[in-house]
Amino acid sequence: MAAPLIVVSRLEKTYLTRAGSRIRALADVTLEVADGEFVTVVGPSGCGKTTLLRILGGLLPASSGTVELLGRRVTGPGRKVGMVFQDPVLLPWRTVLDNVMVPVIVLRLDRQLYRRRALELLALVGLTGFENRYPHELSGGMRQRVSLARALVHDPALLLMDEPFGALDAMTREAMNLELQRIWRESGKTVLFITHSIPEAVFLGDRVVVMSPRPARVVDMVTVDLPRPRDLDVMGSDSFGVYTRKIRQMLGPKGWLE
Amino acid sequence: MSVLEDADAPVERLSPLQEFCRAPGAFIRERPHVPLVPLILVVVVGAWEVIVRAGHLPDFLLPAPSAVGRALASGLSSRLYLEHFWITFSESLLGFLIAAAAGIAFGTVIAQFRLLERTLYPYLVALQTLPKIAIAPLLIVWLGFGFSSKVVIAALVAFFPVLVNVIVGLKTVDAGKLDLMRSLDASRWQTFRLVTFPNALPFVFAGLDIAIVFCVLGAIVGEFVGSQRGLGNLILQFHTSLDIAGMFAVLLLLAALGVGLHLVIQTIQRRVIFWAQADHVIGA
Ligand SMILES: Nc1ncnc2c1ncn2[C@@H]1O[C@H](COP(=O)(O)OP(=O)(O)O)[C@@H](O)[C@H]1O
Ligand SMILES: [Mg+2]
Repeated sequence: MAAPLIVVSRLEKTYLTRAGSRIRALADVTLEVADGEFVTVVGPSGCGKTTLLRILGGLLPASSGTVELLGRRVTGPGRKVGMVFQDPVLLPWRTVLDNVMVPVIVLRLDRQLYRRRALELLALVGLTGFENRYPHELSGGMRQRVSLARALVHDPALLLMDEPFGALDAMTREAMNLELQRIWRESGKTVLFITHSIPEAVFLGDRVVVMSPRPARVVDMVTVDLPRPRDLDVMGSDSFGVYTRKIRQMLGPKGWLE
Repeated sequence: MSVLEDADAPVERLSPLQEFCRAPGAFIRERPHVPLVPLILVVVVGAWEVIVRAGHLPDFLLPAPSAVGRALASGLSSRLYLEHFWITFSESLLGFLIAAAAGIAFGTVIAQFRLLERTLYPYLVALQTLPKIAIAPLLIVWLGFGFSSKVVIAALVAFFPVLVNVIVGLKTVDAGKLDLMRSLDASRWQTFRLVTFPNALPFVFAGLDIAIVFCVLGAIVGEFVGSQRGLGNLILQFHTSLDIAGMFAVLLLLAALGVGLHLVIQTIQRRVIFWAQADHVIGA
């Protein structure tokens, strides 16, 4: 395994609500992700997955514990990370291409150079010909592809994805999973992908991190030894079933995922 | 790309006229209000004409539509109405432009600084609830019977809807867009330029649309209180001479002015915030 790109150690997060009560969202989360690895995180909804991702992305301070990215403490947002949120969060007044260019503008990168890259990424996510459309002219799946291209445009080392396909219908979602695998293989990025779908986690991940209900702890890490590239047929295979059953057993008996 | 996804890509939208030409029957069946809107006008005006003639009502109480039409035609051809129209139009437009610029500028500054907003808030509420036209007599005393006092009254009346909408618009940004900017470590100015300001534009235009109606109101009230010219002044002149048909004719001109200004704002709005319009269509 290559050197870890990201090291999460003993991460704790307790929210203080307006009413003054405390909500413990993360309890002692320790995790390493290797360079180039695709790690998926499954856990019941409301357990603290988004909290973990926001801390990794520097959007939220941890209560205690540390996050190191490329050997340096994460204390705030930085250009080494690209984020894909649950909603595509596109700016409706900008064209598809201009949306992808937002990080380039904010980070003051060379616009000429990165415009080419943005166009290449739009091709990579299958949106050639849609560069000058506006977000409201796209379907949900297409919008999330734009958001993916935007997260990649400034060439981050780490891609953080928070249930990006959760709002899509089942068929579009499977198609997006296939495409994400291809994009990941072509771009060589490290991906941390959050989901509450066990099949999605197994299909995409080199490793699946299984989390407990709130406060989230790492229950287990399952290494998925299925050959790449995986196609949708793999979901019907015996070994795929073994993985999903194993994870469901960790989460299922108490109905955590429901 | 899957076939499924192309299926919910939007279809080309036709203009209403194109749709009508393509299938007039279906067009009217789907939008029965389109012929009904002018029909109502014809019926009401026709009934009015008949009632006035049959009842032999004197012209100084209620003139027939035909009498109003004659008054309007003669007033327009003698250019008398046009001069007054031009005065009221310029007062309103200038007042509007001042209100829009000041409202956007002050609103933007106030929305940036929480302390400023909280400090000014009670005064803004007090001023907003004050009926601004009540200040008109005072402004006539200060600025005289001429053009400038009307412009100031129009601007004052139109200023607050713009200000309030700008402040609300700048504060109504969804958290996701701000998260996106924060994840890129964007500066305040970058966030304002790329997200907060464009995001506020639908609110700004809602304010401008109210303001454009209010500024005509302000100009007319100013002319009522003290003036030598303008459509408001003309109404007072006709009032003195009991020329009721003339008063109705001026009201028609005022309605035309209001509708015209509103349409101008709407046209600009449709171009500038086309993206919000599309959302409305879906919501409608
Ligand atoms: N800003 C906040 N203030 C208080 N509680 C919060 C806040 N954000 C999240 N929480 C709580 O923390 C828990 C974990 O939330 P989250 O990380 O969003 O879960 P998940 O993404 O796994 O569904 C939830 O119970 C949620 O209500
Ligand atoms: Mg979540």
